[in-house]
Amino acid sequence: MSESAESPVGAHTPPESSAQGSTAAEPRIIKVTVKTPKEKKEFAVPETSNVQQFKEEISKRFKSHADQLVLIFAGKILKDQDTLIQHGIHDGLTVHLVIKTQNRSQDHPAQQTHATGSTATASISSSNTSTSTSTNSNSSGLGGLGSLASLSSLGLNASNFSELQSQMQQQLMSNPEVMVQIMENPFVQSMLSSPDLMRQLIMANPQMQQLIQRNPEISHMLNNPDIMRQTLELARNPAMMQEMMRNQDRALSNLESIPGGYNALRRMYTDIQEPMLNAAQEQFGGNPFASLVSNVSSGGDIQPSRTENRDPLPNPWAPQSSSQSSTTASTSSESSGGSNIGNSTSASMRQSSAIPNLGPGLGGVMFNTPGIQSLLQQITENPQLMQNMLSAPYMRSMMQSLSQNPDLAAQMMLNNPLFAGNPQLQEQMRQQLHTYLQQMQSPDTLSAMSNSRAMQALLQIQQGLQTLATEAPGLIPGFNPGLGGFGSTGVPTGSAVPSSIPSENTSLASGAIEPGHQQFVQQMLQALAGANVQQLQNPEVRFQQQLEQLNAMGFLNHEANLQALIATGGDISAAIERLLGSQPS
Amino acid sequence: MAEPAALHPVQLYVYDLSKGMARRLSPVMLGEAPGPRGGGGGGPARAARRGSAHTSIIVHKDEFFFDSGGISSCAPGGTLLGPPDLVVDLGNTEVTEELFLEYLSSLGESMFRSESYNIFEHNCNTFSNEVAQFLTGRKIPSYITDLPSEVLATPFGQALRPLLDTIQIQTPGGNAFSRHNGQS
Repeated sequence: MSESAESPVGAHTPPESSAQGSTAAEPRIIKVTVKTPKEKKEFAVPETSNVQQFKEEISKRFKSHADQLVLIFAGKILKDQDTLIQHGIHDGLTVHLVIKTQNRSQDHPAQQTHATGSTATASISSSNTSTSTSTNSNSSGLGGLGSLASLSSLGLNASNFSELQSQMQQQLMSNPEVMVQIMENPFVQSMLSSPDLMRQLIMANPQMQQLIQRNPEISHMLNNPDIMRQTLELARNPAMMQEMMRNQDRALSNLESIPGGYNALRRMYTDIQEPMLNAAQEQFGGNPFASLVSNVSSGGDIQPSRTENRDPLPNPWAPQSSSQSSTTASTSSESSGGSNIGNSTSASMRQSSAIPNLGPGLGGVMFNTPGIQSLLQQITENPQLMQNMLSAPYMRSMMQSLSQNPDLAAQMMLNNPLFAGNPQLQEQMRQQLHTYLQQMQSPDTLSAMSNSRAMQALLQIQQGLQTLATEAPGLIPGFNPGLGGFGSTGVPTGSAVPSSIPSENTSLASGAIEPGHQQFVQQMLQALAGANVQQLQNPEVRFQQQLEQLNAMGFLNHEANLQALIATGGDISAAIERLLGSQPS
Repeated sequence: MAEPAALHPVQLYVYDLSKGMARRLSPVMLGEAPGPRGGGGGGPARAARRGSAHTSIIVHKDEFFFDSGGISSCAPGGTLLGPPDLVVDLGNTEVTEELFLEYLSSLGESMFRSESYNIFEHNCNTFSNEVAQFLTGRKIPSYITDLPSEVLATPFGQALRPLLDTIQIQTPGGNAFSRHNGQS
């Protein structure tokens, strides 16, 4: 690189030299771009300046101290006493800058919020485990506060939220009646009926992701909307499920008696099913088929018997291994052949329905009033609990998929029996929903939630509003228990807007709805939300092409088409089936 | 009195993801005439031209790369892709490890977050290019960085583009890059 920097730079020099005239040097001003990882700015400096002066210029515009700046050019670190010429920095070249941050402690909370704000799909299992270890360390504190007392009265003694989830899961699974009830719940049904949501939930599990990498067939299967849909329908119909399970068991036992088939089965199991089962159940306890494997492996050298194996497979529905009955919700529809795909399908479907059951588990508990109230109370008292709740992986993925698909969230809300009789409330919900979801996602909100003082301040505001409402009803038009309803359904999706927590108490008491108040609250919400609205993909845009095709085929009802497409995830033939099924004959 | 600053070698590892398949398939898919093309480098270089190369930067005895999981690092050659198919020497840098890690952290928060990964416009090669320029002032070989535009210029590439945009490549074997406590 030529050091003699007489390169044809010069448009800047004439005015300067003519103005200054007799200055000894003619320092040409060169434009150098300074680039940090985050931004880049242009600087005009005399060619002959040294690095020290350059840094002073930079520190002014980057608002850092000159000591914090490290300049790098062509792989060399520029020292203060060097000159720009010495390093060959000419006009138009780019110098890299790193601003050293003096205090590391400042970075830690930033990193923490970054970690909690990061997307679930990107989260790696190590970060998940670190979150859970931090929750474990807090468990003693939580227990000490006597929190979750209400839930323990329901028979759950969880000390942190993920344990709570798994315990709820276990309880639910051990009682098939409850299962049926939950399945009937329209909230659940609407969630289950969206293949997109299901897929996202499944994909968000880091173990699933690892499994998918190792076995790409699984991802093909997950992405096939037909399979998803059929499985979801299966999940809704427990009788059909049981029958499928029986078929599969029979097919399996047939396979076993085929010469050589036993080994194939075993290989299949260890390669595919075991890790999936383990992944699905590591929270929930052992693997129901583990005993089978160990029994068999001890006699593994024995030639597979030529007769059909008449011993019943271990009962996954056994109460002590209660949680494994979550696997009953699996079975793929396509597994009738008992093929490899069938088995891996079933195993993965176990996973898939393990997840929606967490959703209803949440929903089921949350609709239990005294539980909600004290839970909310504990949440406000203990911000850590809130944070744990928010960072629980299922929660995260659910929230994320909700925010990406506001229609789905709106639908979910609407189907909620709390809102059933109240179209006005539904409207309000719909409007608020978007802002609300955005708000939930922002890391500012998360940090505000975990800041107990902030929460208390919000509580005070709300209480003040309440008092005002009772004392001077004319001043603020009414108090909206719709907010309370909002609060209680807000909780299943992670947390209520804190302002609505105490309102939940009053909502249960009063019954009237005053729409005027809605506006006031909406303004408040928007002020809180900070107006950072992303562009979400409108399903209409997404399915544009399919809609056109449906129109061409003669399905002219735009609304119905759109709904069918959304429900089937863009699969035209399935959408047509749906449409045909719903048309009056 | 200027003490010679320590010089750290910087290398670029290029991995041919398709192991030669791309070479055979691309004339069919992209509509390019088969036959010898100017330029050398053999398989990996052609893989880069066919759009199936993954690159990473080796410095301070660590390998750094960018994929849909964000910036990651591992021991050199430690990803699931195994040893590199081609090694390009980028020169030396004075940037210390500490400084480099800080730089990477800032990058990870600004330009190279995990969600900003795009297989065509903002991929591992973009990252490698950026880091190479920071460390040595030199860019990585142009045939690697130019490949997205090449693929996109073909009608086939344009047709596939919406699908490919959603592909997230995650290279197993790396650790997510975190700022505190430094990196082993």
